[in-house]
Amino acid sequence: MTFPFVSGARLIIDDIGGCMLFIGEAFRTAFKRGIPVHETFVQIWRVTMQSLSTTALAGFFVGALMTVQFSLLVRNFGALGFLGGLSTSATIREVGPLLIAFMLSGKVGAYTSAELGTMRVTEQIDAIRCLGASPFQEIILPRIVGIIISSFFLLLVGLMMSIFGGVLLGILFAHINIDEYLRNVPTIVNAFSIGTGLFKCLVFAILLATICTYKGYSTTGGSKGVGRSVVATAVSTMVGIVVADWVTSVISEAVLNLAAGR
Amino acid sequence: MNSNMNPKSMISFKNIVKRFGTRTILKGISFDVAEGEILFVLGTSGTGKSVLLKNIVGLLRPDEGEIWIDGQEVSRIPEDDYLPVRKKCGMVFQHPALFDSMTIYDNVAFGVRRHERLDEAAISERVTRCLQLVNLADVEDKMPGQISYGMQKRVSLARTVAVGPKILLFDEPTTGLDPVTTSAVNQLIKDLSRTLKTTSMVVSHDMRCALEIADRIMVLDQGHIIAQGTPEELKQSAHPLVRDFLDEAVNA
Repeated sequence: MTFPFVSGARLIIDDIGGCMLFIGEAFRTAFKRGIPVHETFVQIWRVTMQSLSTTALAGFFVGALMTVQFSLLVRNFGALGFLGGLSTSATIREVGPLLIAFMLSGKVGAYTSAELGTMRVTEQIDAIRCLGASPFQEIILPRIVGIIISSFFLLLVGLMMSIFGGVLLGILFAHINIDEYLRNVPTIVNAFSIGTGLFKCLVFAILLATICTYKGYSTTGGSKGVGRSVVATAVSTMVGIVVADWVTSVISEAVLNLAAGR
Repeated sequence: MNSNMNPKSMISFKNIVKRFGTRTILKGISFDVAEGEILFVLGTSGTGKSVLLKNIVGLLRPDEGEIWIDGQEVSRIPEDDYLPVRKKCGMVFQHPALFDSMTIYDNVAFGVRRHERLDEAAISERVTRCLQLVNLADVEDKMPGQISYGMQKRVSLARTVAVGPKILLFDEPTTGLDPVTTSAVNQLIKDLSRTLKTTSMVVSHDMRCALEIADRIMVLDQGHIIAQGTPEELKQSAHPLVRDFLDEAVNA
């Protein structure tokens, strides 16, 4: 008898192994055959245009949310002057990348997984192979590279909008002026905070691109299979992002300690 | 080239076994397809007909045995080495499998652009000629979703012949088509095979079409070849499954 935990763990290990082999094949194809530049730019444009407005909107409200929450706390301690620094730091280092990446996993991840899954079950991927071409070169690499670049860019846009949202809500909700809001930002938000935020954005973008293309490409079982792949993409990406968030936080902390000689 | 192989054989299966888990789909299949021949593979659903075709183009690999394509043993070669082999073997899928994000023109030009260094005028000329071969005109700018299913199947055939394969493989080419279009597609298969001088293998369950256009018919059942021969020879077969197929063809 196999415990559900054991079979579940085996499935996760199988999935991680499959994903590693998939990304290995993508790297091998990229080095051997190159990355189709035109198709990659098509993907960058498509993903960016599809998600720019939603990402900007989500980013704005993430910043706004953090400012509102922090203002309730710091007001009690008479430390409204620290609102801008605390809100901006928390948004850039943690909450911004996390929430915006969640939103992108639902939008970009689900779209790509469904698109590739449909290509798989309607034998379009087999047709590419039968025409003597490599599906990795034709459809996978442009999507992986395109999604990494555009997701990283979208996350940056989202973060900038979150800072703007934070400032605006600081003025409207906490009734502090912009100079007061920004005064302590450089005290709390340093290069390390920004570096951590950018590092997380890059890791999340790579995770999103890898998982959604892998899940879509490995779809089996007709339209139900496409549905399963989309759900699996959303779940795996979100779990992966949370785990990666913790790992990148630990790494960032270790780097900070190392730099400080602790 | 294998000295034991018939020099005119374009496809040769030698004791091919294919398993999926504990299920054995092909149980030691051996046959040859001669150059220029049209071979029909008949059988009920789930007997491994499509598996047979997918083993030829390397979408599936056999667990045992050898597959020879145009004098080259291909069953164990790496995926990258299979790409030129696939250029020799054009496959028309059961579903049209057109790239739905591309126009008909780009679909037909797909293989040509990847394998031949031609300018756009030459590609355009090739696309038009291939579409004419399948009796289609003025569809180049349309998307696959804007034309009928029967037309999509013909575009799929045009896309396959555009790269100039020596071997044409058809996986149930008339499934889902009305009788008139079925007849037209079957005639097209015969005309294309003769015009382009290709070797053709057609997987089907339509004995009537097989009797009309096949040079040879092979009947598969539960992973074994149970009968093969010319249409005239098959008509004399006493095997119950072959008789069922023949009766069905007569009734149709």
